[in-house]
Amino acid sequence: MIPNDPPRLALSLLSRWLPDDDPLTGDLVEEFAAGRSRLWFWRQTFSALGAAWERPRVGVRPLKLVDGPGRVDPDPTPPWPERSGGPLAYLPASPVNGVGGLGILAAIVLLTVVVPQIWLLVGLSLVAGAGLGAVLTARTVLRMHRHWTPDIRRVLT
Amino acid sequence: MPRATHLNDFELMLLLATLRVDEAYGVQIAREVEQTTGRRVLMGAAYTALDRLEARGLVSSRLGEPTAERGGRAKRYFTVTPSGLEAVRQTRQALETLWTGVAQLQEKRT
Repeated sequence: MIPNDPPRLALSLLSRWLPDDDPLTGDLVEEFAAGRSRLWFWRQTFSALGAAWERPRVGVRPLKLVDGPGRVDPDPTPPWPERSGGPLAYLPASPVNGVGGLGILAAIVLLTVVVPQIWLLVGLSLVAGAGLGAVLTARTVLRMHRHWTPDIRRVLT
Repeated sequence: MPRATHLNDFELMLLLATLRVDEAYGVQIAREVEQTTGRRVLMGAAYTALDRLEARGLVSSRLGEPTAERGGRAKRYFTVTPSGLEAVRQTRQALETLWTGVAQLQEKRT
Protein backbone atom coordinates (compact mmCIF):
# COMPACT_ATOMS: atom_id res chain seq x y z
CA MET A 1 0.00 0.00 0.00
CA ILE A 2 1.32 3.40 -0.94
CA PRO A 3 0.67 5.90 1.89
CA ASN A 4 -0.05 8.73 -0.56
CA ASP A 5 -2.79 6.80 -2.31
CA PRO A 6 -6.36 7.04 -1.12
CA PRO A 7 -7.60 3.94 0.74
CA ARG A 8 -8.10 1.30 -1.92
CA LEU A 9 -11.09 -0.30 -0.24
CA ALA A 10 -12.83 3.05 0.03
CA LEU A 11 -12.23 3.65 -3.69
CA SER A 12 -13.57 0.17 -4.45
CA LEU A 13 -16.72 0.87 -2.47
CA LEU A 14 -17.17 4.20 -4.21
CA SER A 15 -16.67 2.68 -7.66
CA ARG A 16 -19.16 -0.04 -6.81
CA TRP A 17 -21.91 2.15 -5.41
CA LEU A 18 -21.31 5.28 -7.42
CA PRO A 19 -20.69 5.46 -11.14
CA ASP A 20 -17.02 5.03 -12.08
CA ASP A 21 -16.69 8.51 -13.46
CA ASP A 22 -18.61 10.17 -10.69
CA PRO A 23 -17.10 13.61 -10.09
CA LEU A 24 -17.69 13.12 -6.38
CA THR A 25 -15.04 10.42 -6.23
CA GLY A 26 -12.74 12.66 -8.24
CA ASP A 27 -13.29 15.47 -5.74
CA LEU A 28 -12.38 13.19 -2.85
CA VAL A 29 -9.23 11.98 -4.63
CA GLU A 30 -8.24 15.59 -5.39
CA GLU A 31 -8.76 16.70 -1.79
CA PHE A 32 -6.83 13.70 -0.48
CA ALA A 33 -3.94 14.56 -2.80
CA ALA A 34 -4.09 18.10 -1.42
CA GLY A 35 -3.31 16.80 2.07
CA ARG A 36 -6.48 15.47 3.64
CA SER A 37 -6.12 12.49 5.98
CA ARG A 38 -7.16 8.92 5.42
CA LEU A 39 -9.71 9.34 8.22
CA TRP A 40 -11.18 12.29 6.32
CA PHE A 41 -11.36 10.16 3.18
CA TRP A 42 -13.17 7.36 4.97
CA ARG A 43 -15.58 9.76 6.63
CA GLN A 44 -16.39 11.34 3.26
CA THR A 45 -16.73 7.89 1.69
CA PHE A 46 -19.27 6.72 4.24
CA SER A 47 -21.13 9.98 3.89
CA ALA A 48 -21.14 9.69 0.10
CA LEU A 49 -22.33 6.09 0.26
CA GLY A 50 -25.09 7.09 2.65
CA ALA A 51 -26.09 10.00 0.44
CA ALA A 52 -25.98 7.72 -2.60
CA TRP A 53 -29.22 6.11 -1.43
CA GLU A 54 -30.96 9.34 -2.31
CA ARG A 55 -29.17 9.94 -5.58
CA PRO A 56 -30.02 8.37 -8.95
CA ARG A 57 -27.67 5.56 -9.92
CA VAL A 58 -26.96 3.77 -13.16
CA GLY A 59 -26.53 0.28 -11.72
CA VAL A 60 -24.48 -2.01 -9.49
CA ARG A 61 -20.94 -2.76 -10.55
CA PRO A 62 -18.74 -5.65 -9.45
CA LEU A 63 -16.44 -4.87 -6.54
CA LYS A 64 -12.99 -4.09 -7.93
CA LEU A 65 -10.20 -4.59 -5.39
CA VAL A 66 -7.32 -4.61 -7.83
CA ASP A 67 -6.53 -2.28 -10.68
CA GLY A 68 -7.37 -3.80 -13.99
CA PRO A 69 -6.57 -2.52 -17.45
CA GLY A 70 -7.76 1.01 -18.05
CA ARG A 71 -10.93 1.81 -19.83
CA VAL A 72 -10.36 0.99 -23.48
CA ASP A 73 -13.67 1.41 -25.16
CA PRO A 74 -16.41 3.19 -23.27
CA ASP A 75 -19.53 1.23 -24.02
CA PRO A 76 -22.72 3.29 -24.03
CA THR A 77 -24.77 0.22 -23.11
CA PRO A 78 -23.52 -1.18 -19.78
CA PRO A 79 -23.31 -4.97 -19.53
CA TRP A 80 -24.96 -4.97 -16.12
CA PRO A 81 -28.73 -4.69 -15.93
CA GLU A 82 -30.31 -1.38 -15.10
CA ARG A 83 -32.04 -1.67 -11.76
CA SER A 84 -34.69 0.38 -10.16
CA GLY A 85 -36.81 0.11 -7.08
CA GLY A 86 -34.91 1.96 -4.40
CA PRO A 87 -32.07 1.03 -2.06
CA LEU A 88 -33.45 -2.36 -1.09
CA ALA A 89 -33.13 -3.53 -4.71
CA TYR A 90 -29.34 -3.38 -4.28
CA LEU A 91 -29.09 -5.43 -1.11
CA PRO A 92 -28.95 -8.83 -2.84
CA ALA A 93 -25.89 -7.69 -4.79
CA SER A 94 -23.30 -10.42 -4.39
CA PRO A 95 -19.79 -9.73 -3.11
CA VAL A 96 -18.71 -13.23 -4.19
CA ASN A 97 -19.89 -15.08 -7.27
CA GLY A 98 -22.60 -17.54 -6.34
CA VAL A 99 -23.10 -16.23 -2.81
CA GLY A 100 -25.87 -13.79 -2.14
CA GLY A 101 -24.91 -10.61 -0.33
CA LEU A 102 -28.27 -10.52 1.39
CA GLY A 103 -27.78 -14.10 2.58
CA ILE A 104 -24.37 -13.32 4.05
CA LEU A 105 -25.72 -10.21 5.76
CA ALA A 106 -28.69 -12.11 7.18
CA ALA A 107 -26.46 -14.96 8.38
CA ILE A 108 -24.08 -12.57 10.16
CA VAL A 109 -26.92 -10.68 11.86
CA LEU A 110 -28.73 -13.89 12.80
CA LEU A 111 -25.62 -15.52 14.24
CA THR A 112 -24.68 -12.40 16.19
CA VAL A 113 -28.15 -12.09 17.68
CA VAL A 114 -28.89 -15.75 18.37
CA VAL A 115 -25.47 -17.16 19.28
CA PRO A 116 -22.92 -14.40 19.79
CA GLN A 117 -20.52 -17.02 21.20
CA ILE A 118 -20.14 -18.25 17.62
CA TRP A 119 -17.58 -15.52 17.00
CA LEU A 120 -15.42 -16.86 19.85
CA LEU A 121 -15.63 -20.26 18.20
CA VAL A 122 -14.75 -18.74 14.83
CA GLY A 123 -11.77 -16.96 16.36
CA LEU A 124 -10.54 -20.09 18.12
CA SER A 125 -10.98 -22.06 14.91
CA LEU A 126 -8.87 -19.55 13.02
CA VAL A 127 -6.11 -19.71 15.65
CA ALA A 128 -6.26 -23.51 15.76
CA GLY A 129 -6.18 -23.68 11.97
CA ALA A 130 -3.18 -21.39 11.79
CA GLY A 131 -1.41 -23.44 14.49
CA LEU A 132 -2.15 -26.73 12.75
CA GLY A 133 -0.93 -25.29 9.47
CA ALA A 134 2.33 -24.20 11.09
CA VAL A 135 2.86 -27.64 12.66
CA LEU A 136 2.20 -29.47 9.39
CA THR A 137 4.46 -27.15 7.47
CA ALA A 138 7.27 -27.61 9.99
CA ARG A 139 6.81 -31.38 9.90
CA THR A 140 6.97 -31.43 6.10
CA VAL A 141 10.10 -29.30 6.08
CA LEU A 142 11.77 -31.57 8.66
CA ARG A 143 10.90 -34.66 6.64
CA MET A 144 12.28 -33.12 3.50
CA HIS A 145 15.38 -32.10 5.42
CA ARG A 146 15.92 -35.73 6.44
CA HIS A 147 15.99 -36.83 2.83
CA TRP A 148 18.27 -34.16 1.59
CA THR A 149 21.39 -35.49 -0.03
CA PRO A 150 24.76 -33.88 0.78
CA ASP A 151 24.62 -32.14 -2.62
CA ILE A 152 21.26 -30.54 -1.82
CA ARG A 153 22.50 -29.50 1.61
CA ARG A 154 25.52 -27.89 0.07
CA VAL A 155 23.37 -25.92 -2.36
CA LEU A 156 20.75 -24.86 0.15
CA THR A 157 22.91 -24.10 3.19
CA MET B 1 -47.42 37.47 -6.62
CA PRO B 2 -45.27 34.54 -7.78
CA ARG B 3 -44.77 31.73 -5.33
CA ALA B 4 -41.51 32.10 -3.42
CA THR B 5 -38.82 29.44 -3.73
CA HIS B 6 -37.69 28.32 -0.32
CA LEU B 7 -34.07 27.38 0.27
CA ASN B 8 -32.72 25.75 3.39
CA ASP B 9 -29.56 27.14 4.94
CA PHE B 10 -27.26 24.58 3.32
CA GLU B 11 -28.77 25.12 -0.13
CA LEU B 12 -28.40 28.85 0.30
CA MET B 13 -24.74 28.44 1.28
CA LEU B 14 -24.07 26.21 -1.72
CA LEU B 15 -25.70 28.66 -4.12
CA LEU B 16 -23.80 31.61 -2.67
CA ALA B 17 -20.51 29.68 -2.75
CA THR B 18 -21.18 28.72 -6.36
CA LEU B 19 -21.74 32.37 -7.19
CA ARG B 20 -18.58 33.46 -5.36
CA VAL B 21 -16.10 31.25 -7.19
CA ASP B 22 -15.27 30.99 -10.85
CA GLU B 23 -15.58 27.61 -12.51
CA ALA B 24 -17.28 26.19 -9.44
CA TYR B 25 -16.99 22.47 -8.95
CA GLY B 26 -17.47 20.25 -5.90
CA VAL B 27 -14.14 20.82 -4.15
CA GLN B 28 -14.19 24.59 -4.64
CA ILE B 29 -17.78 24.94 -3.50
CA ALA B 30 -17.11 22.87 -0.39
CA ARG B 31 -13.92 24.81 0.42
CA GLU B 32 -15.72 28.13 -0.02
CA VAL B 33 -18.49 27.09 2.36
CA GLU B 34 -15.97 25.78 4.90
CA GLN B 35 -13.76 28.86 4.76
CA THR B 36 -16.54 31.44 4.90
CA THR B 37 -18.86 29.77 7.39
CA GLY B 38 -16.64 27.38 9.34
CA ARG B 39 -19.14 24.64 8.65
CA ARG B 40 -17.67 21.24 7.83
CA VAL B 41 -18.97 20.02 4.49
CA LEU B 42 -19.51 16.39 3.58
CA MET B 43 -19.11 16.03 -0.16
CA GLY B 44 -21.87 13.46 -0.41
CA ALA B 45 -24.32 15.83 1.26
CA ALA B 46 -23.17 18.68 -0.96
CA TYR B 47 -23.73 16.66 -4.14
CA THR B 48 -27.12 15.47 -2.93
CA ALA B 49 -28.17 19.07 -2.30
CA LEU B 50 -26.73 20.23 -5.63
CA ASP B 51 -28.59 17.44 -7.43
CA ARG B 52 -31.76 18.57 -5.72
CA LEU B 53 -31.12 22.17 -6.75
CA GLU B 54 -30.46 21.08 -10.31
CA ALA B 55 -33.71 19.10 -10.37
CA ARG B 56 -35.48 22.28 -9.28
CA GLY B 57 -33.77 24.25 -12.06
CA LEU B 58 -31.79 26.46 -9.68
CA VAL B 59 -28.37 25.29 -10.87
CA SER B 60 -27.10 23.65 -14.01
CA SER B 61 -24.04 21.46 -14.36
CA ARG B 62 -21.67 20.24 -17.03
CA LEU B 63 -18.84 17.72 -17.00
CA GLY B 64 -15.27 18.85 -17.66
CA GLU B 65 -12.36 16.86 -18.96
CA PRO B 66 -10.93 14.01 -16.86
CA THR B 67 -7.65 14.94 -15.14
CA ALA B 68 -4.82 12.80 -13.85
CA GLU B 69 -4.78 14.39 -10.38
CA ARG B 70 -8.33 13.12 -9.91
CA GLY B 71 -7.52 9.59 -11.03
CA GLY B 72 -8.92 10.18 -14.50
CA ARG B 73 -12.23 11.49 -13.24
CA ALA B 74 -13.96 14.54 -14.60
CA LYS B 75 -14.97 17.65 -12.71
CA ARG B 76 -18.61 18.63 -12.59
CA TYR B 77 -18.98 22.38 -12.94
CA PHE B 78 -22.02 24.09 -11.49
CA THR B 79 -23.64 27.35 -12.58
CA VAL B 80 -26.45 29.18 -10.84
CA THR B 81 -29.35 29.69 -13.21
CA PRO B 82 -31.50 32.86 -13.33
CA SER B 83 -34.11 30.96 -11.30
CA GLY B 84 -31.41 30.18 -8.75
CA LEU B 85 -30.43 33.83 -8.51
CA GLU B 86 -34.05 34.76 -7.98
CA ALA B 87 -34.36 32.11 -5.26
CA VAL B 88 -31.33 33.55 -3.45
CA ARG B 89 -32.80 37.05 -3.65
CA GLN B 90 -36.16 35.86 -2.35
CA THR B 91 -34.52 34.01 0.53
CA ARG B 92 -32.47 37.06 1.46
CA GLN B 93 -35.54 39.25 1.36
CA ALA B 94 -37.47 36.81 3.53
CA LEU B 95 -34.63 36.61 6.07
CA GLU B 96 -34.26 40.39 6.21
CA THR B 97 -37.99 40.76 6.72
CA LEU B 98 -37.81 38.29 9.57
CA TRP B 99 -34.77 40.08 10.97
CA THR B 100 -36.30 43.50 11.20
CA GLY B 101 -38.31 44.30 14.26
CA VAL B 102 -36.76 41.63 16.46
CA ALA B 103 -35.83 43.54 19.59
CA GLN B 104 -33.40 40.96 20.94
CA LEU B 105 -31.32 41.02 17.78
CA GLN B 106 -31.21 44.79 17.65
CA GLU B 107 -29.96 44.95 21.25
CA LYS B 108 -27.09 42.61 20.44
CA ARG B 109 -26.11 44.68 17.43
CA THR B 110 -25.69 47.89 19.43
